[in-house]
Amino acid sequence: MANGHIHGAHSIDRLAYESGMRTWNPVFKTVLAVGTLVLCLAADRPMVSTAVILVLAALQRGKGKLPLRDYLGLMLVPLTFLLLGGVAVACDIALTPVCDWNLRLPWFYLCVSAESIRFAVELVLKALGAVSAMYLLALTTTACELVDVLRRAHLPSLLCELMYLIYRFVFVLLDMYGRMRQAAGARLGWKDFRTSCRSFGGIAGNLFVLSLRRSRVYADAMAARGYDGDLRFLEEEKPVRAAQIIWTGLFWTALLVLAIC
Amino acid sequence: MTQKQRKLVRLTACAALLCSVVPTAGAMHIMEGFLPPLMCILWGVIALPFLLAGYFSLKKAVARDRRAVTLIAMAGAFIFVISSLKIPSATGSCSHMTGTGLGAILFGPSAVSILGVIVLLFQAILLAHGGLTTLGANTFSMAVAGPFVSFGIYRLCLRCKVNKKVSVFLAAALGDLVTYCVTSVQLAVAYPSATGGVTGSLLEFLGVFAPTQLPLAVLEGVLTVMIMMALEAYAQPELRAVGFEEVGA
Repeated sequence: MANGHIHGAHSIDRLAYESGMRTWNPVFKTVLAVGTLVLCLAADRPMVSTAVILVLAALQRGKGKLPLRDYLGLMLVPLTFLLLGGVAVACDIALTPVCDWNLRLPWFYLCVSAESIRFAVELVLKALGAVSAMYLLALTTTACELVDVLRRAHLPSLLCELMYLIYRFVFVLLDMYGRMRQAAGARLGWKDFRTSCRSFGGIAGNLFVLSLRRSRVYADAMAARGYDGDLRFLEEEKPVRAAQIIWTGLFWTALLVLAIC
Repeated sequence: MTQKQRKLVRLTACAALLCSVVPTAGAMHIMEGFLPPLMCILWGVIALPFLLAGYFSLKKAVARDRRAVTLIAMAGAFIFVISSLKIPSATGSCSHMTGTGLGAILFGPSAVSILGVIVLLFQAILLAHGGLTTLGANTFSMAVAGPFVSFGIYRLCLRCKVNKKVSVFLAAALGDLVTYCVTSVQLAVAYPSATGGVTGSLLEFLGVFAPTQLPLAVLEGVLTVMIMMALEAYAQPELRAVGFEEVGA
């Protein structure tokens, strides 16, 4: 199916299940990812950001056995936002030409200075570092395990339950949507813009009706199996190894040293 | 039209096409790492009361009827799917709805706030839209400000006896616009420009995102009207089940 986003939801999920780092302890991975994220944001140094990007890419490639092409493709996802946001940060609007380079427009000047460009580049680097820290979590840990980590962090059980169910239902609905989209395509439902809008509205409405009907079926099925407001899953034992802790310590110390010097 | 006028029209059409070809994938989710730590915490704290209110209302609904859990979860999944679907656009570029207007009209704004934060978390880890540290800021713009404004406009329009389709359109389109403006404000406050301060920077962010977001807001309005028409035509019992009542009728 030629749909980037649907493919996206499936692909990150699939990569997380296939990752070589799936056997690592999920709590440890969360601590590693969030700790690195916070360090990268708090340090706010281009050196630290670059180190985070490179080390985490190497980790995903080496330990996670993630094909480099997939990883690079995923790093491009937030690129649009980065470019637009970066341009907005780098440029400045003024009534008089005040910066190094000025573009004259009808009522004002669009100015860019070397300083602001440097700032924007550093910001983009920092954001990419943070994104790779987030990917360390997203691409190696399945959503169910993440919810389990949140449950251990004492998130209210109602919310955890909702998250388990939403995660499952998202894929149920995406499957349904895929079939409806194909059916509409078979009837030339996407032949021009007007028809596409009508098809999309019909599909989304239909999806709503079917999803509510399904939710009743699921409620019955869960009640029949003795659901009492608590979903319990079998968990795999995933011990943390000493080497992992040592390497994490070394990595964070190196980042701190880079941040201070 | 003279030859010159025709050329001018063609030229501007090309420019418009170029603007909308930019893929808007996740353009209005503030990306991971783009906000300084202080701002992340600040927006998280601002979004918190709305989330708590949403959580308590959900808890009440579930305590009343245990089976409501699957219904609420389905609503959350529906918002996720709607907001990640590629919608038809004139140029073949890749854009999607925010779904906040539709969600607020169907499920009410306080339920959408708590579902929204879950949906945003899943969008971050399943689609790489948005991020973990920017969750607070994104929640405020997409799950709090947008839905509340949409819902307010929808109710106001119905009370003033505005045509139903028009009110749905206005609610969805303006809700989308509010989301975009709030996001720009968040970015501007975090990165004030050197000469213009926050206002100057706000203008820049609004300007940079306008070419993709303005057509998208209109499209979102049109599509939401289409969806509501489809629902009213053959889903009256389901609409009543989620607590959607026709105020105007």
